[in-house]
Amino acid sequence: MDEKILIDEAKQGSRKALSQLVRLHEQTIYNFSFKICRDREKAENIMQETFYSFVKSIHQFDGNSKLSTWLYRIVANHCMMAARKMKNYHFVSLENDEDDLFEDRYTADWSRLPDKFTEDNELKNILDEAISKLSPDYRVVFLLRDVEGLSTEETAQITELSIPAVKSRLHRARAFLRKELNEAFAV
Amino acid sequence: MSEKKSNCKDVMQHICESLGEDLNSERCIAIKHHLDDCPNCKTYFKTVELTIDYYKKYEVQLPEGAHERLISFLNLNDCEE
Repeated sequence: MDEKILIDEAKQGSRKALSQLVRLHEQTIYNFSFKICRDREKAENIMQETFYSFVKSIHQFDGNSKLSTWLYRIVANHCMMAARKMKNYHFVSLENDEDDLFEDRYTADWSRLPDKFTEDNELKNILDEAISKLSPDYRVVFLLRDVEGLSTEETAQITELSIPAVKSRLHRARAFLRKELNEAFAV
Repeated sequence: MSEKKSNCKDVMQHICESLGEDLNSERCIAIKHHLDDCPNCKTYFKTVELTIDYYKKYEVQLPEGAHERLISFLNLNDCEE
């Protein structure tokens, strides 16, 4: 059934429509949540909290944005709240030392990677390790904009950042992850 | 206009928009001249593109039983087909 019809029915109180909307979006929301918090149990809890918020406030959804964008806003908020509880955890600071992000003494040959890394989950481990070092404030911008493909404006709305701030965080996050991968691939 | 030139213009536009500059500004023209002949920048952009691509392809599947736990958490068990 068309998503718009399901949304209208859910807003009129149809629990069956709610259930179908949950099924349509649960994989995307779990995937996003996992990529922010890097822990399966936490990701599942955040997914549950996200859909709980969704069910409670579906009547407020005005349809001006896509439902998925609205859900990203809710899940990103839950992820950021969970991240703030980890305030003692040390993330890499990207506020200073920008030059360090762009200087490579050596650039690995990335064209040879598929054979070397993709088979035994080594690439996944490298990706996990690199993004885990990135502060969730940067991680959420990178994931919304580059991985989920939202626009800069949508990312700014969801994260409540200005457009220049989104661009700046995205630029630094990309540079940091690229540098981390380059160092890992060079070993 | 060739495809290569069109791609380069897109890249330039993107970079210059990020910098808040228009395409014909002095700074943008200087960037274009640099990019035309800089292997480091070419490698940098290529590897940023690959970095994004790796993260895009990294999908995590919903764990077994997570859907049922979610529906139960939301008290929607009676709505499942």
